[in-house]
Amino acid sequence: MLDLIIRFSKACRSAGMRVSTSEVIDSVKQLEYIDVTDENRFKYLLRANFAKSRREQKNFDRLYDLFFHEKEPEKSPDPALQRHAEIRELIESFSGDAGQTPIDAALKAFLKGNPIPYITEMQRLETKNEYTPKGLKSNLGQLSSRLEVMLRINAMRNRLLNLPAQSGENAPEARHRAVDHLLKRLDAAYGMLTEESTPYNDGLKQIRTHKKHYSDIGERPFSSLSPREVAEMRDVIKQMIRKLKDRASRRWAARNKGVIDVRKTLRYAGRFQGIPIDIKYRNKRLRKAKIVTLCDVSGSVWSAARFMLNMLYSMQDCFSSVNSFAFVCATTDVTEIFEKNEVNQAIEKVMSNADIDFNALTDYGEVFFQFKRDHIHLLNKKTTIIIVGDGRSNYHNPRQDILAEMREKCRRIIWLNPEPEAFWGTGDSEMNTFKAFCHEVRPCRNLNQLIDFVEDLVM
Amino acid sequence: MEFQSIEEVMNRLEKVGYIASKQIATVVFLAAATKKPILVEGPAGSGKTELARALAKCLKRKKIRLQCYEGLDEAKALYEWEYAKQLLYTQMIKEKINDLLAGATSIAEAVERIADQEDAFFSERFILARPLLQAISSDNPVVLLIDEIDKADPEFEAFLLELLSDFQVSIPELGVKKAVHIPLVVLTSNNYRDMSDALKRRCIHLYIDYPKPELEKRIVGLKIPDIDSRLVDRLVSAVNNIRNLDLKKRPCISETLDWAQSLMVLQIDDLTPQVISDTLNVICKYKADADLVRAAAEKILCST
Repeated sequence: MLDLIIRFSKACRSAGMRVSTSEVIDSVKQLEYIDVTDENRFKYLLRANFAKSRREQKNFDRLYDLFFHEKEPEKSPDPALQRHAEIRELIESFSGDAGQTPIDAALKAFLKGNPIPYITEMQRLETKNEYTPKGLKSNLGQLSSRLEVMLRINAMRNRLLNLPAQSGENAPEARHRAVDHLLKRLDAAYGMLTEESTPYNDGLKQIRTHKKHYSDIGERPFSSLSPREVAEMRDVIKQMIRKLKDRASRRWAARNKGVIDVRKTLRYAGRFQGIPIDIKYRNKRLRKAKIVTLCDVSGSVWSAARFMLNMLYSMQDCFSSVNSFAFVCATTDVTEIFEKNEVNQAIEKVMSNADIDFNALTDYGEVFFQFKRDHIHLLNKKTTIIIVGDGRSNYHNPRQDILAEMREKCRRIIWLNPEPEAFWGTGDSEMNTFKAFCHEVRPCRNLNQLIDFVEDLVM
Repeated sequence: MEFQSIEEVMNRLEKVGYIASKQIATVVFLAAATKKPILVEGPAGSGKTELARALAKCLKRKKIRLQCYEGLDEAKALYEWEYAKQLLYTQMIKEKINDLLAGATSIAEAVERIADQEDAFFSERFILARPLLQAISSDNPVVLLIDEIDKADPEFEAFLLELLSDFQVSIPELGVKKAVHIPLVVLTSNNYRDMSDALKRRCIHLYIDYPKPELEKRIVGLKIPDIDSRLVDRLVSAVNNIRNLDLKKRPCISETLDWAQSLMVLQIDDLTPQVISDTLNVICKYKADADLVRAAAEKILCST
């Protein structure tokens, strides 16, 4: 039993779950208390120890089924034994193929009933970092290596199907069943390759409704504003920011008043012969958020991002720091531009920034990768990341694993999408993938939605 | 060991009015057997806090509750010195202090004499025990409920680690205080924030979802015994359909119960769109939600 649990924990680790030794010890200890023949209990026990949050449960369930239900061909007596030998023979026959790649070896182990190398291989493909030279850029490596695995699986399947009907000393019946079994295993391997393994995200706050702050201009999509309306929009924003700031400072003043500080009061009372004339309060320190924004500046998204930045920088004194990055297919730090210029000028300057290649295709994976490489130190538990983008990654690898890493380092991730919700996940939109790693997603197409968001952020 | 088997957990919880699924019972049993804290996650209103209450009741233990919020600190959670009381005492025993100091030849000697009495002031008499200290210093075993741990700051979470792994706390003036009895700890979280790995490692995890319709029917039947079973069927499936709508706040078990109760009071024994529309306030707490449910009333009922 111990051996089994250890092997399972190894499989979990190779799939990227964090299972520590103490958790393995705990579950082995707990196994003594329950009746292991009841499978549900066994599973609940392992799940309670191995998957310690709702987010991990999906991954756990998948691995559990794979490991305990599809693992080895059941070891019943005679006929199965024969089948066993048959299967081994068939698997060995694959090794005749030229070129023993790790994928081949992993697949073969998978067929034999040991899924660990295959899971490791899959995880490696998923999180592979690619250093491609600039210019000829493509991060489709993950996709193409997946394709390679698929081809291998298909090749094996073909071989099995075209196996000569003759079958030496073994009964055709046994061979038939062995082939069947192996085909099923291949299907399982194939399924793992194509299935989506995004975690449950119950805590996700998804905003769908918004208040109608302004009737006409408030409902107009950002993307269809005329230059005159843009100017009008700025005035409206300015006015609104003033109101918001007033409210924020008043609310802070009230919320800030803490309880009486006995220690301090007594210390001051010493001046008046022990009579506490001057009462001191334990005022709470302002907890201002740190903000990091990542703005897609390509095409249509920019029209929403500019207003977002406009508002954010007008409210700057409500936050302890604001760092901004603009991206199309590479991240550019634009914090300095905003620090040195007036907001609207800064926005114009970003548009004419030579470092940003406005004609390139948006590539979120690359953007996340660069952000991680150069700026991940900006994130701590007080940071709120705001990403403005449509999540359309032009079929490049979305690299959601980096987004997951960013999630672990920051307080929350808020995604503003200028597309209406009905379009999320259609075509090359990876929104549904990204959504699983965000704390909050909201459509942000017009002023009213934007005001709602900023209010929520500041209050 | 408090429980002998998983079945016993289920039975005893049911006796105090909590119907536990097999998963809940298994995890509770294991946690009680290995004396580990339980980290309970789940949507609001799925019975996380209620589980702790039921456990305390069926084990006949006292429940000590610590409600977490932003800005919760040690002074509120663990202990605080009672300065006012200390001051009052010094005033009252001033004479005694004078006696003590009588005959001291130098200031150094006087300080020395006072220092000898230090223990009298930093003793348990002047300590104000907050929930965590209460839980570990109680003479009888207790159930400690740390509610909505995700609302507390990450710093507080780190501070909890010592308590949860060793069941001891250190008070600088008094030294380390070890737990008299290891309390049964239940932590609840609404997924507002991800918990740190260190905290997760010390707990065993339980996810409570909304109950399956059969279970929910049993719960309604248990809490409101004289309700018509046909109405319960209709009610529970309607609530489940409502949960599938895109609402700001999904109705939870307590809202199902409230709804059932109000239908009983109104002496209504069948659900119609009109009834739903009239009694909506019990299950929907936002106007936008109420509008949505009202619009979908037909659908909610017909698919039952």
